[in-house]
Amino acid sequence: MLDQLLAALTQYGYPALFVVVAIAAIGVPVPVTLLLIVTGSLAAQGAIGLWLAIAIATVASVSGDQIGFAVGRWGGKKLVAKFSWLLGDAEHIKKLDAKARSWGGAGVFFSRWLVTPLGPWINLASGAADYSWLRFTLWDVLGELFGAALFIWLGHVFSDRVQQVGAIFGDLTWAILAVLVAAFLGWKLFFGRHPQ
Amino acid sequence: MAQPRHWTLVLVLGFCLAIAATFFFGYRAGRTARHYRWQDESIQPWMSVPFVAHTHHTRSELLFQAIRVPPNPRDHRPIREIARAEKLPVAELIRELHKAIENANPPGPGIVPPSGKAP
Repeated sequence: MLDQLLAALTQYGYPALFVVVAIAAIGVPVPVTLLLIVTGSLAAQGAIGLWLAIAIATVASVSGDQIGFAVGRWGGKKLVAKFSWLLGDAEHIKKLDAKARSWGGAGVFFSRWLVTPLGPWINLASGAADYSWLRFTLWDVLGELFGAALFIWLGHVFSDRVQQVGAIFGDLTWAILAVLVAAFLGWKLFFGRHPQ
Repeated sequence: MAQPRHWTLVLVLGFCLAIAATFFFGYRAGRTARHYRWQDESIQPWMSVPFVAHTHHTRSELLFQAIRVPPNPRDHRPIREIARAEKLPVAELIRELHKAIENANPPGPGIVPPSGKAP
């Protein structure tokens, strides 16, 4: 599928960028980091405009995030549980309810670009946990704008090595996620209280 | 409060897996970064000819000529689609592009990569 998405991006430019980034933000597992890096390379080649690409990627991802947030908010917990099979189990989303409140803006901001696999979860959980829409949107726009600018700029700078840069960032994202999981489990193991 | 044994076991297992994943992905990222300068970008069916020309520092007209397609820098069709239109296997088209790139940029003495082997 990645091949088709990259081909569409190369051939159709902006419309493909918008659609792919939006569906990734909704929760369809698409390696959006690589797509943004390829977009940066296309901008370096003059096939598309750098600033317009950043703007479109930001608008697309914020739109997708808003859909996720709305599903969590208006669909209620039942609907979240129904659709959560796309992302994991409903139990995990329940746990994220509390996390979304405690992490607040930082959780939304960092899940937009640093630990992107968590992004769709945070959207659903923020909506379901009645997190303030205004605050969510503010941090969402900031995070997505930063993420789009960062990865498209990286693709622009390393435009002749997009696959390698994409692979490095893909691995780094998973490494950071694994560090966070290890820190959380370590904390639970050594300091946490657990059910009997 | 005492932790139930199976719960502790699950936590320890998860903790070890997370640590292993950190090292695995960290190592892989480091290895790719280390070989960054010595590995050419591989040609993929999703790439357009101008894209391949850019990543391999070659003129796109040269590559279009090599695959017998009228040169057009605005032709952003992926290689796969060109292959379909020309009724040729994708692998053959990629081979021809490689050949044209090698002819255009003959390999020089180069620098020895980190492994000590020639690229």
